[in-house]
Amino acid sequence: MNNTRSILSETTGDVERSPSPGQVATVLTGLAIGILLMGIQLWLLTIALDLYLGGQDTYIWLLAVISGLVFLGGLLVLRVLTRRPRSQTRPRR
Amino acid sequence: MKSENGISRKGRGVLGRRPRTRWQAEFPYHWDGDEQVSRRELLRFAVMASGTLFAATAGIVILSYLNPLRTVRRQAIASTSEVPRNGAHYFQYPTAEDEAVLLHLPEGRFVAYSSKCTHLSCAVYYDSQRQLLVCPCHEGVFDPRTGAPLAGPPQRSLPSITLSQEGTMVFAEQEMPQ
Repeated sequence: MNNTRSILSETTGDVERSPSPGQVATVLTGLAIGILLMGIQLWLLTIALDLYLGGQDTYIWLLAVISGLVFLGGLLVLRVLTRRPRSQTRPRR
Repeated sequence: MKSENGISRKGRGVLGRRPRTRWQAEFPYHWDGDEQVSRRELLRFAVMASGTLFAATAGIVILSYLNPLRTVRRQAIASTSEVPRNGAHYFQYPTAEDEAVLLHLPEGRFVAYSSKCTHLSCAVYYDSQRQLLVCPCHEGVFDPRTGAPLAGPPQRSLPSITLSQEGTMVFAEQEMPQ
């Protein structure tokens, strides 16, 4: 009995710390938007290639700028979301 | 013990504290935390893929500057002195069957259009007194500055021809893929 309790206390309880409320949802939202924007970037890449091969490369740089902005936005989101929340340490007894 | 440092560092990162028991030292992940890490890893991967796509687009831009896949086809039309102000010069462009007109506008600018009327392809001519491009077949009238239809049955503008000037010579230019 005592043994079982001690095992349970090892696997549950104060050892485990859940993510703060809304954190998972935030990461998932960032991920969903990021994947959507990545699709747009892929589309921009195909347009750039199409324009280049068609010899109409006057405005290709604009596509690269938009793609770069999306990438910078992604970096920013990554930076914000991967910041670890301050651990709520309880004083040890 | 030998892996104490590595594991405990990781463990602190995930569990937020030093592992207390042996199993925590060996597997220092909370099962929800593990899921969260994988999502973040996926996010990191997505951003890296985004960077790759940006790099590829930028590469195409650089390539288009270094090795443009187009040629500019130029055709000399006339010398500027050959076309007086408010005058016109008729030529064939881009093929010998396509009639075109070069105009020297009263304000000094040169413009050129295909001289096929957009109504029924009659040859358009420049009426210097009225300062208009006129189609004699059905009295279609076009603006010589823009090529836009002003009167008569034509609904579409005359196709314009890109011009460039080198010295006193006026050229018609057309960009074509290789």
